[in-house]
Amino acid sequence: MLPRERQSTPATARLQLLAASCALLGSASSRAQEANAAPTESGVLQDWSVDSALAYYHEDGRVLAIEPIVNVSKVYPHGQLLNLNATFDSLSGSSPNGALTSRVAQTFASPSGKPAHAYTTAPGELPVDPHYSDTRIAFGGSWTTPFTRVDQVTVGAKLSDEHDFFSATVDASIAHDFNEKNTTLSFGVNDEFDSLSPIGGAPVPGSDYALADKTGGKTKDGVGALLGVTQVMTRTWLSEFNLSVDRFKGYLNDPYKITSIVDSAGNTTGYVYENRPDQRTRKSAYWENRVTWNSPISTALSLRYMSDDWGVRSDTAQLHLRWTMANRDRYIEPTIRWYRQTAADFYTPYLMGGDKPMTGYESSDSRLGPFHALTFGLKYAQKLAGVAGRSNSEFSVRAEFYKQTFDESAPTPGALQGLDLYPALEAVLVQVGWRF
Amino acid sequence: MNCKPMRLLLLLSAAIIAGGCSSLGVKPWQRDVLARDEMRLDANPLDAAIDDHLYFSKEASSGGRSFAGGGCGCN
Repeated sequence: MLPRERQSTPATARLQLLAASCALLGSASSRAQEANAAPTESGVLQDWSVDSALAYYHEDGRVLAIEPIVNVSKVYPHGQLLNLNATFDSLSGSSPNGALTSRVAQTFASPSGKPAHAYTTAPGELPVDPHYSDTRIAFGGSWTTPFTRVDQVTVGAKLSDEHDFFSATVDASIAHDFNEKNTTLSFGVNDEFDSLSPIGGAPVPGSDYALADKTGGKTKDGVGALLGVTQVMTRTWLSEFNLSVDRFKGYLNDPYKITSIVDSAGNTTGYVYENRPDQRTRKSAYWENRVTWNSPISTALSLRYMSDDWGVRSDTAQLHLRWTMANRDRYIEPTIRWYRQTAADFYTPYLMGGDKPMTGYESSDSRLGPFHALTFGLKYAQKLAGVAGRSNSEFSVRAEFYKQTFDESAPTPGALQGLDLYPALEAVLVQVGWRF
Repeated sequence: MNCKPMRLLLLLSAAIIAGGCSSLGVKPWQRDVLARDEMRLDANPLDAAIDDHLYFSKEASSGGRSFAGGGCGCN
């Protein structure tokens, strides 16, 4: 599968030796070992590698987000790697509140309770809160250090702050190479603490929306573990397999989601706040394969299966195909991703009359419902020489289209027949990136 | 929904990797292709981070490739 010229010329042989040297230093056999060589150019960030991106995300008729993100890393003489990153999110637009579409106009109070922010949804329209707005700033860092020739440890931390949410996470992992560094076994744990301070307070789960029975802030925390093995299969095939589990406890509701109560004819008679269990355990298996088929074409195929004790089962398959052109100074990368999930046991698009939920819990949050989604993407990257004092940098632009289609099979009450109760979600993402 | 094919495929992959570790792999001088950027498991970390954030906020699943925590109040 290798191009003939890469095996025949002295220049190519030198490149292969250089690549092999990099690999011997640990750059190829595992995610944990993927350290960059320190750049040698002069300047403020002379010893740092910088990766940056600006993303624009827009849902059709709903949320709009702008997200700049920057990641800097530095390799120290003894192989240690320091990585720091910062992210900023600005979101605005409309967000579904969980209520069901109705034949008549529906009026909702804002989470804050301010009369000026009350909103009315037209007949036949999906209820969305049009005043959704938030900003998020997040910082993260990690430190990786080898402690034997074949072992290394990584510790990291992440802080994220929003107007109504704060999150702190710490993690640690260890990786061990064997079989001539063709196999890497890794194990990591993380601990996350979240603090919620919803606008207007946190609703009492399952309480009547009209009573606005709310309390102060809430918390949730989670722990997770990940066991992974990375294997060099052949000269052109790298495989990774991960098993992970995490468990969250605390206030796991979305404080802004409500569920409609409808009568047997399909008329909405009221609303209740959603009521999710206060614990959730998720397990997942993940398999990724990277294969170079010939000189210009390589693929990355990943499969994931996830299940949780809320009854959600999901399958994910994603394929990246990279076509490298010219003297490896540019490439295009089409992507396709397919995803499907079953509904949580307590998911219901509405509650019928005064019936209590069978499970004791209820949520009409569509993200816990049954749906499938497709993503199509395309990326173009171009290497640039001599920009910002660097001998080499890379500019990239990519676009993605995401469509989520609901697979709800619940019976539709008479008055709601003919309405689009589960409209598809369509979104576009455009991103520009620069690394040097 | 029948998710057995995906589970079987993932179990098969684990068996291949676990059973084949000792007989698979390359010599150090055969890592030229493996050292290419596109063969890195985190070849595009920012793309992955932005996508993960999108999917975390729109779907019930997250993680797998790395830890599943979101650090975001969007879900």
